[in-house]
Amino acid sequence: MDRRAFVRLLAAAPLAPALPEALPKLKVVSAYAPAAVPGMPGPYPGRVVSVKSERSVDTTSNAANGDVVREMMARGLCALTGERTAPQAWRRFFAPGDVVGIKVNCGGHPNVVSSYEIVAEAVRQLMALGIPTTQIYVYERFQNQLDEVDYAPHLPEGVTIVAAETANRRADNRGYDPAVYVEADLFGEEDTRSNMMRLVSQRLTKIINIPNVKDHGATGATGCLKNVAYGSFSNVARTHHRGKSHTYSFVGTLASVEPLRSRTVLQIMDGLRGVWHGGPFARTRRYVFYPKRILFGTDPVAIDRLLLDIIDGERKAHGAISIYDRSPQYLKVDDGAARDADPNVNIIIREPGHVEYAARLGLGVADLARIKVQDVEV
Amino acid sequence: MTLLLWLAALPCLYWTAAADSAPRLKAAGIERLCVPPERAEQWSKAGFSAVALSEADLAVRDTLLAPGIRARADRASATRSPWVDANGWRFLRHPDGQYVYEDLPAGRAALAAAEASAYGADAVLKIDPADLESLGQMMAFVAQLPANDLPDVADLAVVDDGSAPLGEVLNLLVRRNLLVRIVKAPSSDFGINVKLGTKEYPLKEAGEPSALALRIRRQLTDEQRALRIFGSEVVIGRLASDGSRARLHLLNYGGREIEGLRIHLRGSFPQGAALVAGPGRVGLEESAVVDGATEFTVPRLSAYGVVDLPAVK
Repeated sequence: MDRRAFVRLLAAAPLAPALPEALPKLKVVSAYAPAAVPGMPGPYPGRVVSVKSERSVDTTSNAANGDVVREMMARGLCALTGERTAPQAWRRFFAPGDVVGIKVNCGGHPNVVSSYEIVAEAVRQLMALGIPTTQIYVYERFQNQLDEVDYAPHLPEGVTIVAAETANRRADNRGYDPAVYVEADLFGEEDTRSNMMRLVSQRLTKIINIPNVKDHGATGATGCLKNVAYGSFSNVARTHHRGKSHTYSFVGTLASVEPLRSRTVLQIMDGLRGVWHGGPFARTRRYVFYPKRILFGTDPVAIDRLLLDIIDGERKAHGAISIYDRSPQYLKVDDGAARDADPNVNIIIREPGHVEYAARLGLGVADLARIKVQDVEV
Repeated sequence: MTLLLWLAALPCLYWTAAADSAPRLKAAGIERLCVPPERAEQWSKAGFSAVALSEADLAVRDTLLAPGIRARADRASATRSPWVDANGWRFLRHPDGQYVYEDLPAGRAALAAAEASAYGADAVLKIDPADLESLGQMMAFVAQLPANDLPDVADLAVVDDGSAPLGEVLNLLVRRNLLVRIVKAPSSDFGINVKLGTKEYPLKEAGEPSALALRIRRQLTDEQRALRIFGSEVVIGRLASDGSRARLHLLNYGGREIEGLRIHLRGSFPQGAALVAGPGRVGLEESAVVDGATEFTVPRLSAYGVVDLPAVK
């Protein structure tokens, strides 16, 4: 092979996730022991069920079809567990004594958030198992985001909708557990701790994670791992700043902290809608797209590995730079307006390698060759 | 310290209006004033402790920043932390200095009074009259704090050359809760002696004071720090201790109450209590002694709170 051919081959090769120069030292403090079979990756490592329905969402109105979603949920859970009925499938994960948290994602309001229909169906199935509404929590970190999305009219009375903080302003810490945290000095910040929500460490016995299909300026994409990790700990925005992101190792490390890791037993990725640029926000519909599918599994890494390809593929279809692109020419540090206006602008060097890093922590399977995807059409 | 001396050490409201404004001040609980000399007598007759302060007296006082936080578009911060305007380093550098908070914007008077009080500074406050009530409440709070003469705790020494660049380094060290002792010459009491112009701390590094402060912090290591504050980037602490008892002043520059501030103090202390401006006495929560350090949560912190930890019995 001559040099020119070799260079052409390099140019054609998929962009490999680059390693950040030096990983920060992360200190995990938790007295909780892992479960015999931790929820992540759970009983189905490397396994993903992808349920698609063209009828699941009206792309004109952005509204989901509740009946279709219900069927997608039933088919997905049955395919994942091998059970014949939805209640049997849900029983694999939950018992009447469980206190269940549903980790939603409200950051993409108003266009891409955890769908009312998916959250409501999860609650309905939990109640059908005999779990009282007083033992069901829908949670996020920030109450103002929950208020904007407003799940209450879609859920039975008695379900608690709760956040750790009123808003993202670093003034309320009482919703966090001072004894469970990850400590790291990332940029020289004074507050070096990210504490786990008390709800997670002290109240819940199981967690259902319902992230969205979203691009993310610091991580490349935000899916199962980031939703449950950054959505269950305080003081996480500090990880990405002025063009640099420490999310590579921080996302997986947070997700691996007990008891979060053991208690997160079910991943339901809401891919009815998605956002391929400007994420995790979706303030306009300019970058919204419609995968019209829901991904089911217990392995957050496997689902997120697929997510990276979904987001990158959609970006490619729109002629946008890859989420793996680390070149300075596309970097406009802190220029959110430029990023929102131009899909070829990064404000931070993204770290999609956080998914692979999480696999190394034992949270799941990142190797595409070892991920088995079962497609279901509704 | 006698009550009279203690009261005299409190910050003083500078008030130029005539004594017919006395009812407003009384309603706010203000009892001590600094006034123009020509008004001193009328204010004394009105029942106030009035200290005459001329324009010339004011002019020789060092002017302080209005304490608080602000956006600094001109500065590229290494972290997401807000820019904190604080004066603690000035008070530590010149504890016998005389100061004035000039034309404090509305909403800052109480924090300014708290700041001056926490450092025992001789400070005069020129406030927005809208702040009379909140200032009166803060003055009442600091006046009822038990007297305390414990020495400051320090993790490192800074050799003061009197220069402005060193001042900014001191500012950033104090703002980052790195407890410093300001000395005239290197002290063998400390493993770290910061002296600008030396091989270890070249003068040019003072041009990037934030980076230098961070380097000093990492040189010390967080594990060796006597005080750590978690749950906020806008609270500055001043720690005093004789090795058994301790007093921790907590100044919240953020302008809004903080819930659940976690404090980490090197050393083992019994359960103490906090006095917080506004709520008053609050219990410390979730106390623990781990790896030679005491941790507890202050459930609420307004602009100012004081934690007293008693001696081990």
